[in-house]
Amino acid sequence: DRGCPRAGPDPAEPGSGRGPRPPGVPSSLPSQEEAQAIDQELFTEYKFSVDQLMELAGLSCATAIAKAYPPSSFTTSQPTVLVVCGPGNNGGDGLVCARHLKMFGYEPTVYYPKRPNKPLFEGLTTQCQKMDIPFLPEFPAEAALIDELYGLVVDAIFGFSFKGAVREPFGSILGTLQRITVPIASIDIPSGWDVEKGKADGLQPDMLISLTAPKKAAVHFAGRYHFLGGRFVPAALQKKYALNLPPYPETDCVLQLT
Amino acid sequence: IPVSSRQAFPLPSLPRKQPTVLVVCGPAQNGAIGLVCARHLRIFDYEPTIFYPKRSPDPLYRDFTTQCEKMDIPFLSYLPTEVQLINDAYNAVVDAVLGAEAEASEGREPCAAILATLKLIRIPIVSLDVPSGWDVEAGSSGGISPDVLVSLSAPKQCARRFLGRQHFVAGRFLPYDVQKKFELNPPEYPGTECVVALRAPR
Repeated sequence: DRGCPRAGPDPAEPGSGRGPRPPGVPSSLPSQEEAQAIDQELFTEYKFSVDQLMELAGLSCATAIAKAYPPSSFTTSQPTVLVVCGPGNNGGDGLVCARHLKMFGYEPTVYYPKRPNKPLFEGLTTQCQKMDIPFLPEFPAEAALIDELYGLVVDAIFGFSFKGAVREPFGSILGTLQRITVPIASIDIPSGWDVEKGKADGLQPDMLISLTAPKKAAVHFAGRYHFLGGRFVPAALQKKYALNLPPYPETDCVLQLT
Repeated sequence: IPVSSRQAFPLPSLPRKQPTVLVVCGPAQNGAIGLVCARHLRIFDYEPTIFYPKRSPDPLYRDFTTQCEKMDIPFLSYLPTEVQLINDAYNAVVDAVLGAEAEASEGREPCAAILATLKLIRIPIVSLDVPSGWDVEAGSSGGISPDVLVSLSAPKQCARRFLGRQHFVAGRFLPYDVQKKFELNPPEYPGTECVVALRAPR
């Protein structure tokens, strides 16, 4: 930078060695612990129910998907979407997302191998079934089969609480997903990634929908579309955790970051 | 409801300097929906104030109240009977007093007094589902005259008597088999919108 005065370290770039940040990602990204603390505070202090926030989160995901991949853009004859739901809340977000995708004119199919015995998840499953959303008894054996049948895959396997080793059947599922060519939209965290450090040899989704705020792993996201969803964080909470979220447009429940 | 309120009253168009909105909540489900609406209005950068004189004991609705309080939405301790005070302080009033389920509560306090005041205000009213005090089928002459009606799920019979500026339907969550069973024939929702404006009545 000859001729340009050195301004010193960029105050928006805390720490060092982080590398360039994708455009649109706010400067303060919660760690896994902070993300869990924000969640806890929403439930214990603000008295939100899991149902409320899960519904808003799932709706955000479906809305973001509809903006990035409108039904007219699908090369399959119908706008078919495979939604892969994991064993926890990320899976719940996926169930809500599937239901709203159906409302928006898509043809979702769900794969939900490990279902918690809790009324919340049982209710969400029933809602999908009553809307004629099929639940696959088995995961498609080959990546090529997924490519043929679906125009998009929603990764709702693991979220921001994920830690440690990936248990079956999800290890094999992620292995297959890494070989498909149709786009993957990941809910909150690309499944299998470390929530802070990412995973260089892991899933490379085309879209990431960060919920509440992008987590630290988001700096490693290299896909085309990064949306922010979960427009329910009160201003006071945003300030407390220095989230520095950019403003959502009007009454939209999603914000396109890239 | 907050999305349709925003569509009907976009922020830059509001006459008062601050985007203030009064949300009047009744004792039952319609009031609880008003609480949720107020919270989302806050997220959309409006400045809602709530009047919720008779609070439901339902734990879900109590949590809605907490959520609003924690978001610094003020709760009025009384509704001014001096109507000009309301006209001056707010841009619009959200009427979440009585819904389709109301029959007996209408005559009882504090709803009767609230409705009497609402009949006199000059600023626009946005009614949730049913203009409070209207008979859900026959409508009401001499009742409140909302500027905007937001029908929930589907318009009720009394909506045919609605004479205000805009009528929205918020019901995109209805599964197809429910729609068919009740022969609801809902309109097409544009894109990913959760509300749709019906053709203006006049």
